[in-house]
Amino acid sequence: MSDLSISATETRAVTQGGRRTLILAGIGATIGLIVAGFGLFTATGTSTLVVPAEDVALVNQQPLSRLDFIAALQSSYAITLADATPEQRRAVLEDMIREEVFVQRGRELDVASVDPDVRAAIVRSVEEQAAAPAALENPPDAKLRAYFDAHRDLYATEGRMIPRDLVFADATSAAAALAALRPGEESPAAVLAASGGRDSGKVEGEEFYFAAKIHLGAALFEAARLLPSGGVSAPIAADGVHVLVMLRNTPPVPLPYDAVRGRVLDDYRRDAINRLQAREAAFLRKRANILLAPDLR
Amino acid sequence: MSGWRARRPGAVILGAVALVGATIWWFGAAWWTEGQLLRADPNGLPADPAMMRFALPRGHAIYDGYCATCHAAGGRGDPVRGMPALNDSDWLYGAGTPADIERTVAYGVRSRHPKAWNLAAMPAYAREVPSPTQALRPLSPAQISDLVEFLTQLQGDRADEKAAARGAALYAGQAGCYDCHAPDARGDPAIGAPNLTDRIWLYGDGTRAALYQSIAHGHAGVCPSWLGPLSAAEVREVALFVYALSHQPILATAE
Repeated sequence: MSDLSISATETRAVTQGGRRTLILAGIGATIGLIVAGFGLFTATGTSTLVVPAEDVALVNQQPLSRLDFIAALQSSYAITLADATPEQRRAVLEDMIREEVFVQRGRELDVASVDPDVRAAIVRSVEEQAAAPAALENPPDAKLRAYFDAHRDLYATEGRMIPRDLVFADATSAAAALAALRPGEESPAAVLAASGGRDSGKVEGEEFYFAAKIHLGAALFEAARLLPSGGVSAPIAADGVHVLVMLRNTPPVPLPYDAVRGRVLDDYRRDAINRLQAREAAFLRKRANILLAPDLR
Repeated sequence: MSGWRARRPGAVILGAVALVGATIWWFGAAWWTEGQLLRADPNGLPADPAMMRFALPRGHAIYDGYCATCHAAGGRGDPVRGMPALNDSDWLYGAGTPADIERTVAYGVRSRHPKAWNLAAMPAYAREVPSPTQALRPLSPAQISDLVEFLTQLQGDRADEKAAARGAALYAGQAGCYDCHAPDARGDPAIGAPNLTDRIWLYGDGTRAALYQSIAHGHAGVCPSWLGPLSAAEVREVALFVYALSHQPILATAE
């Protein structure tokens, strides 16, 4: 009997232990509730009555960013947030709220289905979003070098030339002029005067290859491109008979990678953007349920 | 010994509760301060030492993780890649206020974000179509050289007078440079057009060869939009750090 009896000290210890357990359990539960409540009412997409610190308002739970509010204040009044009067702040906020409710109404009315401007803006926006990862990609040097090696012909100095395009009425006078020019003793002006030819005036001074091609036309440009500095072409029949005199020809010179790294990066990104946008278009088409009219199948 | 054994579970639980409480307090305090940071006028924050002490170490860590890859440690920039220095007082976009920097960090430059800075890009005048958006005619090699002489003269360096005069006419006329870089060539921070009269070059070192390359081949640098990958608070923190890079006393005091 004495073995089973509980001393007063032990009873007090048990009671104190139970009270302590309860207090600790209560503290634990309170902390748990605080954490859960915080998570519940601040999680993205949660309906809340509290405007997040980064926003200035919630319109049907759609946040209006503080960043945009400050930018709008600056563009409307050229003023900082601290310097803006309450009236200025209210006016800008009212404008933002008005815009938001109209945008939301626009979604309800599905204006994108009828307004070509909205449709175009949405298409552009989606394209841009699809392109963003590629536009900002910072590929490692090895990748860029590989791209450079695969497109080496793109990375050269711009070819430049100073040609004179002499035009003659017929092949005979062109041949006579050619004979006079080849020895290199007479200037084109003197030859023109003697043979009745004229300078076409298509080229003015030194030009980049692309400009010379536009001005001379593809056929004459191809002949000109192959002429060395000081060279004279054979007569070329094309809207009269032409003789090209190349005063100076500086063909494109391939550039080393280090000199064109920026251009390589731009081109790499451009190609990546095109690929991403094409992939996005293909994906959207693939997941869409498209039914074609019988006459257009 | 038996008394210690009896007290031990309670002590462990109390310790755990205290640890959890401290953690919650720490996160709660940071969350509350972040809220204060976001609600404040960004341009007024540099004058608030307590906020700067809170924001700058965080902004520094974010800068090292996200921005230093391009802008280099300490905001030195990289003129070879056209990455602007962030530790000087020369700002391409805006006036270099925390709010301006924050906008650039949040939405980027030509980042494809609808709110990004994306109003202009440097045309490539040695191409058949210098600009995809503006109706500009290409320039001849001689015309580009004339512009280079004009820009060299603007720097106060010796230049071919006649060529520089022709370049000035091109600048104000056919080439349309004035449209972005302003008639006085001091640039336009509203569209990110650099000042051409100072000696701060975004691309290259300002030599004739580098200037020729810029005019001939154009530029269109990009900066990502970080709002998304970074929270609004982190964007503000890194913006304040970038601001402090060009205001070293603030950086020294806060860090």
